[in-house]
Amino acid sequence: MTDATQVAAAASSRDPAVGLAAVASLRGLLESLEELQVGNARAQGWSWQQIAQALRVSRQAVHKKYRRFGI
Amino acid sequence: MFERFTKRARTVVVHAQEIARERRSPTIGSEHLLLGLFAVPDGLAATILSRLQVDRADVEADLSRGAPFDAEGLATLGIDLQEVRRQAEETFGPGALDRTQAAQGRWRGGHIPFERDAKKALELGLREAVRLGHGFIGTEHLLLGLLHDGRARDVLVARGVGLDGTRALVEELVRKRQAG
Repeated sequence: MTDATQVAAAASSRDPAVGLAAVASLRGLLESLEELQVGNARAQGWSWQQIAQALRVSRQAVHKKYRRFGI
Repeated sequence: MFERFTKRARTVVVHAQEIARERRSPTIGSEHLLLGLFAVPDGLAATILSRLQVDRADVEADLSRGAPFDAEGLATLGIDLQEVRRQAEETFGPGALDRTQAAQGRWRGGHIPFERDAKKALELGLREAVRLGHGFIGTEHLLLGLLHDGRARDVLVARGVGLDGTRALVEELVRKRQAG
């Protein structure tokens, strides 16, 4: 996947099965990366308010989502 | 609805719940019900699946493709999963990305609700039983219920198992069982 045009073609695939599955994969990756970063921020003493601001979401949203993880 | 389930069909549902829990899935999906059918080997559904040469290992492989991360899907967006994983591990330690609860499925323990496609499959199983004039819901009806829609259906259809053919097979086997 080094050929840029090839990537662009796949990313804008008109086949919904390909396009939607790719978006779902991206969401999965996003969730894991967010969790790693939120965990790290908490470990470094960041408040939920600070984390929410950096993520550009509400404090409630981020707190509700990660509170149960115990991080 | 569950009061009309045969003992084996109930066992399938119990297994589906356990399988969902083991996989740390937040919900019981149609794929867990499908795997639950294999967990009751003396059920008619398991007999049918084996006759149609669909085995549990294949179904598991189909279902786990892309889990927890889908390298191929990400590649179509120009994202190199290996590189993302490498970066994450460099910062947060070995296995960091794969160890996240998001990667492993979120909530653990407690009650696991049915996902919509699983609930629908159970309802359709009931409908299949009624349609065939059976006064009970057995594993075979659960299998038929799963063949309408959802992830379980996709996996089964890709393996050549369709609704009509399976329905005919169920009718034949149930008739035989009643005759025998």
